[in-house]
Amino acid sequence: MEEDLISKKELLDLTGISYGQLYRWKRKQLIPESWFIRKSTYTGQETFFPKERMLGRIQHILSKKDDLSLDELAGKLSDMSSVHKQLLTIKEVRERNIVSSVTLERYGQCDKDEHKYSFEQLIHLVAVDLLLGKGELSLEEADLLHRTLSVNRTQFEGKRWELFFARKMGVSFFLQAPAPSELVFDEGVRLISRITLEDLTEQLQGKLG
Amino acid sequence: MDKGAAADLLVAGIGGAAGGTYNHVSLEGVSRINGPVTAMTFTGNGRMKVGGSLTVEQMETNGDLKIGGGLRIGTMKHDGLLKVDGGLLGESFTLNGVADIKGDCELEKFTAEGVVTIGGFLSAGCVELVLQGQAKVKELGVESLVIRKGGSGVWNKLAGGIIPKLRPELQAKVIEGDFLDLEYTTAEVVRGAVIIIGEGCSIGRVEYRDRLTVHPGASVGMEEKTGE
Repeated sequence: MEEDLISKKELLDLTGISYGQLYRWKRKQLIPESWFIRKSTYTGQETFFPKERMLGRIQHILSKKDDLSLDELAGKLSDMSSVHKQLLTIKEVRERNIVSSVTLERYGQCDKDEHKYSFEQLIHLVAVDLLLGKGELSLEEADLLHRTLSVNRTQFEGKRWELFFARKMGVSFFLQAPAPSELVFDEGVRLISRITLEDLTEQLQGKLG
Repeated sequence: MDKGAAADLLVAGIGGAAGGTYNHVSLEGVSRINGPVTAMTFTGNGRMKVGGSLTVEQMETNGDLKIGGGLRIGTMKHDGLLKVDGGLLGESFTLNGVADIKGDCELEKFTAEGVVTIGGFLSAGCVELVLQGQAKVKELGVESLVIRKGGSGVWNKLAGGIIPKLRPELQAKVIEGDFLDLEYTTAEVVRGAVIIIGEGCSIGRVEYRDRLTVHPGASVGMEEKTGE
């Protein structure tokens, strides 16, 4: 799956940020170096960004930068440990609107309000919710996804992983692989979605505030 | 780094060291350090050579300094010749002389008078450059950039006419920034919010958001207003 790219010019027009800000954020490591993708166009070399991730990140920075200094923000973005320790009760998950109620009711497992979700469990919910929200998943597929993630949880504990969702001739399947990984499929396979643990953590972190 | 925990390195005359972590490094004369160095403060006069990368909180040097790896600094002041084989990463850098940096530069404040060559990308908050010869930077991405021409004396003019390398000029492929005030600059593309193209500039294409001023003695291939 080719990720949607956005050119630097479009990005600046769209978000209203300036060149100076963009480079400043890059210097402060708020935007990873690897997101700056250089490509040749007819006007010469241009820089592109992964659209969704970049817009999300900029929104995140803009919403937080009044309260935190850039250095604090950079620390927060790179420091995932605070999120890892997070334990939330089902009530809090509901209140903070971390995942949609559909996802929560179907996969939340527990009806007791005091039940605490671990980081992994939350990430799994976020993953399912994200794909459901995009309309790329049917509910049965979401069941399968959630089961896959739960079953393999111990295997990927504390590791970076990526999730691939692909379809071939109407049959869908999930692949969970240690990141960074390069998977090659045969021609008939359509890769519908690819998410990394970092993306999910960031999502979660954004919602936890 | 825990201050006081590490020893000082002092070289006077001709001497050398293996590299390592120090509290304070002082090099006077001709010195050669074979490995990478980490220090809180660094002062030097004369010919200095560091075999690996150099990480210093505060640094002030005069003379000829060669660094075989990357340079990471808090604040740095250098008069004379500087050669860095890697990139430069730091807060503030003041240069009086000639610098040749192979990699990318990331600085908050960069003030230089002299000749600067940067092989990679210069990303900085504020850049002030007084040209004393031919400066080359592959790409610039800044908040504010001011380029001025120095060396307007008669001898400089004469030498510049004979040896092109001594003619004050900045060459870059792409310059991007919020506030760009340029003189004697040759670039393919200049993009920014407020742009002043001064005397002696030759720019292929200018994209501006708020304001553009072009000096009659400058040549601009194409102008475009963006972000409407």
